[in-house]
Amino acid sequence: MQELVNVEAVSRRFALDNGQARHPVHSFVSALSNANLHVSAGEFLAISGPSGSGKTTLLNLIGCVDQPTSGRILVDGVDTSKLKPGSMATLRREKIGFVFQTFNLIPVFTAAENVEYPLLIQQVGSRERRSRVAEALESVGLSARAQQRPDLLSGGERQRVAVARAIVHRPALVLADEPTANLDTHNATQLIDLMHGLNQRLGLTFIFSTHDARLLEHTERIVRLCDGEVVSDNSIDGGSRG
Amino acid sequence: MAKFLLLAFRNIFRNRRRTLMTLLMVGGGVAGLLLAGGYFAFMTHGLREDTINSGLGHLQIFTAEHFERDENRVLDTGIDNWRQVAASVKTGEHVRGIAPRIDFYGMVSNGAKAVGFMGSAVDPEAEKSLGFVSRIETGRDLDPKPGGEVEALIGKELAKSMNVNVGDGLTVLAMTSDGALNGVDVQIVGIVNSGAPERDARYLRITLPAAQRLLQSDRITNLVVGLDSTENTDQAYFEMMPRLNGLPQRMELKKWIDLATYYKQVNSMFNGIFLFMGIIVFFMVLMSSVNTLLMSMFERTREIGTMLAMGTPRAWIVALFMLEATLLGAMGAVIGLAAGNLLGMLLNSSGLHMPPPPGYSVPMPFRVRHVPVQMIGSSLLVIVSLALASILPAIRASRLRIAEALSHV
Repeated sequence: MQELVNVEAVSRRFALDNGQARHPVHSFVSALSNANLHVSAGEFLAISGPSGSGKTTLLNLIGCVDQPTSGRILVDGVDTSKLKPGSMATLRREKIGFVFQTFNLIPVFTAAENVEYPLLIQQVGSRERRSRVAEALESVGLSARAQQRPDLLSGGERQRVAVARAIVHRPALVLADEPTANLDTHNATQLIDLMHGLNQRLGLTFIFSTHDARLLEHTERIVRLCDGEVVSDNSIDGGSRG
Repeated sequence: MAKFLLLAFRNIFRNRRRTLMTLLMVGGGVAGLLLAGGYFAFMTHGLREDTINSGLGHLQIFTAEHFERDENRVLDTGIDNWRQVAASVKTGEHVRGIAPRIDFYGMVSNGAKAVGFMGSAVDPEAEKSLGFVSRIETGRDLDPKPGGEVEALIGKELAKSMNVNVGDGLTVLAMTSDGALNGVDVQIVGIVNSGAPERDARYLRITLPAAQRLLQSDRITNLVVGLDSTENTDQAYFEMMPRLNGLPQRMELKKWIDLATYYKQVNSMFNGIFLFMGIIVFFMVLMSSVNTLLMSMFERTREIGTMLAMGTPRAWIVALFMLEATLLGAMGAVIGLAAGNLLGMLLNSSGLHMPPPPGYSVPMPFRVRHVPVQMIGSSLLVIVSLALASILPAIRASRLRIAEALSHV
């Protein structure tokens, strides 16, 4: 299968200062060390690990919302370390969909308008926007709730709107950071089934971070992180350490 | 674009209390400017019409020589055949009437005391037809065709200084056009209170034939043209100019505004005060809005991070914040316009009076004019102020680090 994401020897360090503006003393914390990861198109991949293991950092780097301290990341063949901010934004806009732990819907927009947003910033025509929004909401089973604002939706419904928003522009890759963390078991299971179904039906590539065992049960490939290092990848290890 | 506008509009009402406070502040600023500006406009408009109707007229015709040199003798730069000049312009569009005038000066004496005066000689009928009514406190206006003695109106302060009243006599002394001293006895028929004490201390008015006899000249100083409306002054001016060409004497036409020095001073003073108030409102809105918009930006950090993560161009974030501020300014302006005009109407019907303006002794009624230019100007002022106030928050929002913004609590 075609390689979609290549993470090659990527490290990410964050500077910490002592909070004194006059005499700053910088120290660094390493969030990710020499990470390598190869993801093919159509995969359903979980990044697992305890809190602080570097899951979100790795997703941020793959999603081009952060830059690695060293190493390089290729998304759909594009070396993101060489991109200017504007080109990074274009790459995110066109090729990546995001699902966040806290849903991050625009509160003043209805569900349909939230789903429409990625198409708005791609300046897709209004007629096409309407049909694609309807299609995306249909695929997450929320057509009937299209005109509700997020505050009138349940947590599960909000996250399904977020999934619809992430797929409406037909991205090559969907990144989900702890998508079930704020959901109860019922809604979490529904969301997992939904994401898995979209992966199977539309061939969408999903990379998500989680330490939710329920989600991991449905996942064929699990990459485990610990203290910023990839400690296992069952596609390489044959599942022995997964 | 419509959705973007909708997003901006809805964002305004996310924090209703804060939006309400901002709208009240912006609206209050606009309403305050409208009330102050409307009152100034009423004052200047009143002064303008008062200045014109107290005898200045809308246009005045002089000889060109009048402005080129000082007179060596009285009326030696005056208009010779003024009836011919008047005939050439009286058929002009918007012309309501023409009044001949002589400006002269001299001494007035009661036998015991002599005081200088600045006199004017008029055709009472022409003056009356143009609505140039002297503010006669006691007595009556000049008779157009007096039978016996020469009639005179004098200022209230001059009458007080000369210790005379209606029915008393005075002697008016002036230099003739030949350079000789001449005198005429006049009977006071009216005491004038123009509202300006300094003017009233030198005020003397007699009829045109009496002045021509006193000065021994058929000339006049100028012709005063009254129009149907002050707003038609420019049009009448340009229409009248060619009519004055080809006359025996070179003529010069002046608009009322060129001759109304006091009006111009008062007008520029009010404009200065209004500008100063506008600057205060501008900075008041700017400073308080920066803080409000920064708070709004901080509250929406995660949302902005999400929008940026989805690939929203940073320029769009700047535009969104500026659009929100501009909409807020426009809404505040609408509220201010409504409140300002409503308050203006209430004040107009209240019958309030204000102390007299500088140089006047008569209290001014408190009225507020509704001036479209001020409404547009005040609205633009607050809209621009809010748009400028949004620049800093907008730039800060657009420069957020996405990863940090997404983890903002």
